[in-house]
Amino acid sequence: MANIKETFLNPIFKGNPISVLVLGICSSLAVTVQLKGALVMGLSVIIVTGISSLICSLLRNTIPNRIRIIVQLVVVAMMVILVDQVLKAYAYSVSKTLSVYIGLIITNCIVMGRIEAFALGNKPFASLMDGLGNGLGYAMILVIVAFFRELLGSGTLFGFQVIPQAVYDFGYMNNGLMILPPMALILLGCVIWVQRSIQKDLQEK
Amino acid sequence: MNTNSNTYTVIYSIILVVIVAAVLAFAAMFLKPTQDANVKKDTIGQILTAATFPGVEDAAILDTYKQEIESAILVDFDGNKVGELNIEECEVYGNSDLKRQITADPKALPVYIFKNGVTVVPCYGAGLWGPIWGYVGLEKDLKTIKAVRFGHKGETPGLGAKISDEPSFAEAFVGKTVGEGEVIFEVTKPANRQTENNGVDAISGATITSQALGKTLDQWFGFYQNYFAKNGITEVVDAVIDVEPVNSVEE
Repeated sequence: MANIKETFLNPIFKGNPISVLVLGICSSLAVTVQLKGALVMGLSVIIVTGISSLICSLLRNTIPNRIRIIVQLVVVAMMVILVDQVLKAYAYSVSKTLSVYIGLIITNCIVMGRIEAFALGNKPFASLMDGLGNGLGYAMILVIVAFFRELLGSGTLFGFQVIPQAVYDFGYMNNGLMILPPMALILLGCVIWVQRSIQKDLQEK
Repeated sequence: MNTNSNTYTVIYSIILVVIVAAVLAFAAMFLKPTQDANVKKDTIGQILTAATFPGVEDAAILDTYKQEIESAILVDFDGNKVGELNIEECEVYGNSDLKRQITADPKALPVYIFKNGVTVVPCYGAGLWGPIWGYVGLEKDLKTIKAVRFGHKGETPGLGAKISDEPSFAEAFVGKTVGEGEVIFEVTKPANRQTENNGVDAISGATITSQALGKTLDQWFGFYQNYFAKNGITEVVDAVIDVEPVNSVEE
């Protein structure tokens, strides 16, 4: 049981897919302009990684080795399309802001990477936990980056104004650069920096 | 069992694909009505924005529409009424319906007339990466633009996407007029503008999207030209007509 707990918790901080494995950078730059979008994107990825890891792990002994990547891709694609369809039906406005990026979860390296590296060699429950943990680690970084980008770029959080008008009257201005992708990369760099200064074993000599 | 044999691989992939296809088909069918309702609500929301009711909350969109709409009619190219849209059921022409009207002959073009005097007409055309569309609210003279709302499928974020998410671009349309003759409407840089008040500035960095939007508006205003000419109420012109006979009497 301790092992499974470790499987779940490890990717959230120590083996975080974005800040340590540096996977899934692309989408984390694109969807972190606003907190709401980042949160929905994070949830979608958690569901996709968790359930596709589970399915692939259940099938792991039957999958023909030569077409295993294709089988994984079909399972992941199915999950992504399902998530996309559900969002279109029940969260239309969010689905419109995220537009193509939900579909692009298919190409997120975290999903395929975890299935190939973990789910194909481990039991279903452990794989589910590994998938959920990695999704959660991804979502966490997304939310951290989106928090700073929305706060400093638009002065809002979840669309609500948090920086009072009085501050603007003093001459404070929203940082336009925050809304653009380069700033997401710089913020991401800061997150990795913070993590490496806490976790000394990650530092290269 | 040998999971590496060719027969096994082929059968395995066939079964897998059939199962996945069944799951997706079921999900698509099951969710279709809800998705369609969302798309329709979104369309009505855009029409309402063009009719100067922006930012109506999702839940209130249908009620606001029913409350504020005076009539929703279909007109042909000559400007004659050929049909009516059901207001109670919030019947509107979606993007696929609009696309069909571009080549359709005879046309059935939707016109949404609101109680506050604003008439909303749609447009639909090709942008840079995908379709772009929009709703234009006109004042009673059916010439002066009161409010606009544009949408797009996938224009470049930060550049072409500004047609829908940059408030100042939509504001630039307010007070502009729909022209007659050669150039009905244009979206281009000031140096290239052929008319005084029948166009707005293009978005820098998004030349193709801007031009496409100008072309789309020009084309659709052209479709409606006869309707506009027949139904526009121009108070200023009336005043001039009143004055003229008086002058002739004096002479």
